[in-house]
Amino acid sequence: MFHVTFYIRRLHSICGIVPMGLFLLEHVLTNAEAMGGPAAFNEAIARIALIPHNIMLVIEIFGLAIPFLFHMIYGLYIALQANNNPAQYGYTRNWQFALQRWTAIFLFVFLIIHVVDLRIFTKGGGTPISYALLDEMFNNMGWFVLYLLGMLAAIFHFCNGMTTLCMTWGIAKGPRAQSVVGKLMMLVCAVLCIVTIAFMASYKMH
Amino acid sequence: MSEQKTVHFIIERQDGPDSKPYTEEFLVPYRPALNVVAALMEIQKKPVTKDGKKTTPVVWECNCLEKVCGACMMVINGKARQACATLVDQIPQPIRLAPARTFPVIRDLQIDRSVMFESLKRIRGWIDVDGSWEVNTAPIQNPYTAATAYEIAHCMTCGCCLEACPNVGPQSDFIGPAPTVQAYLFNLNPLGSFNKDKRLNALMEKGGITSCGNSQNCVQVCPKNIKLTTYLAQLNRDVNKQALKNIFNK
Ligand code: SF4
Ligand code: SF4
Ligand code: FES
Repeated sequence: MFHVTFYIRRLHSICGIVPMGLFLLEHVLTNAEAMGGPAAFNEAIARIALIPHNIMLVIEIFGLAIPFLFHMIYGLYIALQANNNPAQYGYTRNWQFALQRWTAIFLFVFLIIHVVDLRIFTKGGGTPISYALLDEMFNNMGWFVLYLLGMLAAIFHFCNGMTTLCMTWGIAKGPRAQSVVGKLMMLVCAVLCIVTIAFMASYKMH
Repeated sequence: MSEQKTVHFIIERQDGPDSKPYTEEFLVPYRPALNVVAALMEIQKKPVTKDGKKTTPVVWECNCLEKVCGACMMVINGKARQACATLVDQIPQPIRLAPARTFPVIRDLQIDRSVMFESLKRIRGWIDVDGSWEVNTAPIQNPYTAATAYEIAHCMTCGCCLEACPNVGPQSDFIGPAPTVQAYLFNLNPLGSFNKDKRLNALMEKGGITSCGNSQNCVQVCPKNIKLTTYLAQLNRDVNKQALKNIFNK
């Protein structure tokens, strides 16, 4: 009678916005500075580096790593409970439901690669993240495509997650409210995707 | 003599709960307003396949023949529907029939939907009238919610919504949209509301409302047009409040 599942599910839902959604928005904004060239991007990184190292480490472990791992692992368990059937029932929401789970599985792999490579090996190994470093990495078309897809998948997963969150928490109840929230979030999704494609393309355009 | 028009059926069959499925094709004489149950009755009268081979009659379930009992639910051209209310004129041919495999198959198109009854028991899908208290005349229904209650009361436990729901099936323990939403019906009832907390607590258990992933297939397929997703959102609100009560009221 402790309703463990209930509280874990709701926690999983909250983790999706705080910290994960906020961190995704921070990523899009910081990376968008790349459009202003190397100096602007490096400056944005320097701004983040102003946070003292040990405080940052505490934030990274308790504010990011733990909630991320929880959301990812429990999310994978949720994804495995679905028998995706959009081919049979091709309604928009059902496609979004399936995409939410497909992006989840892709992001699970992508985030591990991304964090292990850039945060643990590169930054942890003493090489600071800079425009030049990313530029060189994105020279490789494989990395470029992987990161582009990773960002787009994360943006969709976050925006669609916000829509379902409004249903799960009983915020948007009626069909009109749910459809307004759904359309609004897909608009946000489109804007964030365009920004992402723009800053990713800027690496290829100089 | 003009040639007799026929309707082409491709039926997924299965001889017993654990036997391997196979398909058989049938041609049924066409007549205006023919529905899928009536076509199955023709096959029952003359169980001969398209190639002229004699076979066993196809087994299915039906009862009311007017979309109120729920018994004839099956997968027709890929979607869960009531066979009695599906006119062959309204769907493309060949018509493919298959059992709703979210439920255990008994034989051919006949399935065992008793899991929904178990789920209704789990959510306390009844109104307690017997007790140590005095039984008076029934209190009146709230006129402002009566229309909603009437709508949800139309549920015929057909299982279309469970068959369409990606989160219901052997891979998950979700009780599914129909039994979940029934909890709201009984919570709306003036006498039923006495046990509201118990029903909401039951929905917070594993396999309860938290297993819904908002794909909203259920509301699309419900033959009784019950606004399932609206009531799921309402129940989500209610269980959140119940959680606060559980934490802070003792
Ligand atoms: S909205 Fe929920 S209950 Fe309805 S089909 Fe989707 S997952 Fe199932
Ligand atoms: S809610 Fe609708 S689809 Fe589901 S069992 Fe009831 S009548 Fe059938
Ligand atoms: S026979 Fe009753 S619903 Fe079809």
